[in-house]
Amino acid sequence: MARVKAYEIRGKTKAELEKQLVDLKTELSQLRVAQVTGGAASKLAKIKEVRKSIARVLTVITQNQRQSVKEAYRGKKYKPLDLRPKKTRAIRRRLTRHEASKITLKEQKKRQHFPMRKYAIKV
Amino acid sequence: MPKDNKEKAKAQKAAAAVKTGVKKRKSHKIRTKVHFHRPHTLRLPRRPKYPRKSFPKKPALDQFKVIRFPLTTESAMKKIEDHNTLVFLCDVRASKPQIRDAVKKMYNIVADKVNTLVRPDGQKKAYVRLTKDYDALDVASKIGII
Repeated sequence: MARVKAYEIRGKTKAELEKQLVDLKTELSQLRVAQVTGGAASKLAKIKEVRKSIARVLTVITQNQRQSVKEAYRGKKYKPLDLRPKKTRAIRRRLTRHEASKITLKEQKKRQHFPMRKYAIKV
Repeated sequence: MPKDNKEKAKAQKAAAAVKTGVKKRKSHKIRTKVHFHRPHTLRLPRRPKYPRKSFPKKPALDQFKVIRFPLTTESAMKKIEDHNTLVFLCDVRASKPQIRDAVKKMYNIVADKVNTLVRPDGQKKAYVRLTKDYDALDVASKIGII
C-alpha cells in the first residue's frame, strides 16, 4: 500500500476511513512479525511509513468528528467543554470585554459632557 | 328573598363550625420503632444541559494493541511443535479473555487456554494453547513465524 496522503483521504466517509484504518493496522501487525523473524530491509523500512499513515487516518477521523460536532453546537449556549476556547484557566475566569467595559449612567454622562480636551499651542 | 337565604346559610354554616370546631387536630403518626431514619426524598436523575466531552474516546485496547507480535525463540518453537501453543508478546494491560478474543479476531483461531506471565523487561508473554481442531504449526506458518 502506498503512503497515505491526508488530502486524498479527507473526502472519504467515516466507514471507509475505519476500514482503511483496520487494513493499515493489519499490515503493521504483519510487518511486526517480519521484524521479529528477521524480514527483508524493505519491510522493516515500511514500518515507519505505515505507522505514520495510521496517524494521518486517525487525525482525519478526529478532525471530521470534531467538525461535525462543532457544527451541531454552533450558536448554542452550552457547549461541551472541549469545544469551548481553551486559552488559559486565568483568562477563562476573567471578565468578558463587554462586562469589563460597563460603566454607570453617571459615568457615561460625565464622559460625554466632559471629555478629555486636546489643545494646540500656538508658537 | 335571596339575600335572606344567603345570610341564613351563612349563619347555619357558622353554627355548624362552632359545633365541630374550626381547626382540626392533627393526628400524630404512631412510631413503633425507637430509631429515626431520614425519610426518602425525591432523587432526580441527571439531565445534563451539555455533554462534558464532545464525543467519547475510542476504547484504548483494540485487538491490534493487545497482541504485539508472536515470539520466535527456540523455546517458543518447541511449544508450537510439542504443545500446540503459540507464544505472543502482549500489552501489559491485556487480560486473558482480551488476549483470547484478540487472537480469535486476528488469526481466526480458538484458544483452549491462555497462560500469561510478565517478563522481567516489563512485557507480557502469553502462551495460547489452541484447541484440537487447530494445528499450531499450520497457523504459525500462515502467520509467518515458521
